[in-house]
Amino acid sequence: MPQPTRITIVSSDSQLTSHIQLRLHSKGYQVSCMQCFDSAMGMFYADPPDLLIIDLSTDTECSSKIVFTLRSDSYFSAIPILGLVVSIDNDTFNWNSCPLDDFVTLPLNYSELFSRITLSLSRLKRIFDNNPLTRLPGNTSIQRAIESDLGLPVSVCYVDINHFKPYNDEYGFSHGDEVIRMTARIMFNAVRDSGGGFCGHIGGDDFVCIVPNDQAEAVCQTIITHFDLIVLDLFDEETKRRGHYPGTNRKGEKEDVPLLSVSIAVVPMDMPKLRHAAKVAEVAAELKKVAKESNGSKYVVDQRRN
Amino acid sequence: MEDKRGELKKIIMDTKTLPTLPGVINKLNALSNNDKASVQEMAKIVSSDQVLSARILRLANSPSYGFYRVSTISNAMILLGVNVVKSLALSSSIFAIMEKNSVGLWEHSLGVGVAANLLARKLELPECEEIATAALLHDIGKVLVSLKCSEAEQEVLKLVRDRQIYMIEAERDIIDTDHAEIGGWLSKSWFLPEKLSEPISFHHDVIKSDNHRIKTSVVHIADVLIKASGFGNSGDSFVPVIQKVAWDTLKLNEQILAELVAEIEDKLVEVKNFSLEMMGE
Repeated sequence: MPQPTRITIVSSDSQLTSHIQLRLHSKGYQVSCMQCFDSAMGMFYADPPDLLIIDLSTDTECSSKIVFTLRSDSYFSAIPILGLVVSIDNDTFNWNSCPLDDFVTLPLNYSELFSRITLSLSRLKRIFDNNPLTRLPGNTSIQRAIESDLGLPVSVCYVDINHFKPYNDEYGFSHGDEVIRMTARIMFNAVRDSGGGFCGHIGGDDFVCIVPNDQAEAVCQTIITHFDLIVLDLFDEETKRRGHYPGTNRKGEKEDVPLLSVSIAVVPMDMPKLRHAAKVAEVAAELKKVAKESNGSKYVVDQRRN
Repeated sequence: MEDKRGELKKIIMDTKTLPTLPGVINKLNALSNNDKASVQEMAKIVSSDQVLSARILRLANSPSYGFYRVSTISNAMILLGVNVVKSLALSSSIFAIMEKNSVGLWEHSLGVGVAANLLARKLELPECEEIATAALLHDIGKVLVSLKCSEAEQEVLKLVRDRQIYMIEAERDIIDTDHAEIGGWLSKSWFLPEKLSEPISFHHDVIKSDNHRIKTSVVHIADVLIKASGFGNSGDSFVPVIQKVAWDTLKLNEQILAELVAEIEDKLVEVKNFSLEMMGE
């Protein structure tokens, strides 16, 4: 059972608060109410809600302060905040000092309030852990996707770039970032063109995609083919001919570094052995070792069916 | 005079898109939805059209995607994705007035692209696809002249006829710049990588090409050979002399050239059929 979405209402108008509470309850939300006072912040920190509705029509100053304080802590800044306002004059109201996600005007139109709540939550789900470099969903979304796919006939493919760190050191961060963005895009397009699936960016040069079992090998092959083609644009002719460039290894020693390539570990999710998400990453880590033993780009599919 | 050039440069730098020939757009529209065959067919049509190719490379190299050196259509399709390329292609505007000239120039550009590809492969040069793309785009400046200063273009063509001079000379006379320089301006403002912009800017003056002289040389020679073959129409019908620096850079000899000319002649039959298919209806 998924947890109900928890909403906190901050207002000193107790009649308004109890009305909203009643209507939100009927929609299945778990609601708590709060007066606007200075200790309100402490209660947020102790038990942060999924969404906050704050009344800006009374106690504007105190409410603005709560919004501003929440926003200034990056950990809480993702919580969607809806403001209740009487009317908004865009020319005089200072949105920078009160950075809301959205507002609803009083007197309340409940159908509008519900829509705005739904939209705020879906926006959060869509973008809150996206990687800023690649705009792909991050670890929370990846974790969620893997958990919900346990036991299904889909494969989780862990993609990573071989010899990325020495490339980054040798050619600089901006070129490194470009390689990361290209890899993300290659994977995303390969997945979409195969009929769709999930794509995520774990961090650094590690990526994940989830596709149906019968598409997994084709998607991996496309990623590898396209990556190897794009890589040719990243090195000069001389380096490509030689197949490696002088760089520094993890121990800080000078050595010849091979051109970039990708390794992909493919874990089918419908194996009885996989009972929890952590096991998936464990299996993938073993497969990665196998994939990295050979030179160049390679994918390895987990074969242990039982 | 200086004013006219500066004014034109500003117009070029502000140009965000260019129209395509209706035949090309009709073909693209006719392609059915998502099957693999249509993707390949689409890639073929896109990489036969200088304007579409330039627009797609512009998008791939633009800051919003953050790739800095995409120089071939196949790489742009890998990175942008088929959907993006397809939507971009289908959002093309078309030339309001369809003239014989534009089809002639389209054929000329396609021909030079094909010839450059043959030459690059014959010489076993690296980055043949990049060279072919640069060759396809080499006269993009002429599209701009025709579009942004159509009156001047008429004067240029008249001057070519009256005085029997090369188009590039007439351009310098009338608009105080030429299609190669104009193509270079566009390449800059459209974020095209240097391996494309250099051959575009210097295909009439190979010696000025410092970093990509091999590519520029191939484009220059392909341009001359296509004009000599009489395929398409690039604005004048005079065949320029092959510049010595290009000949030397590629270490060409008579025999290679003779073989190449024969290969080009063969290939042009195919290209002509493709062109008729595209421009038909």
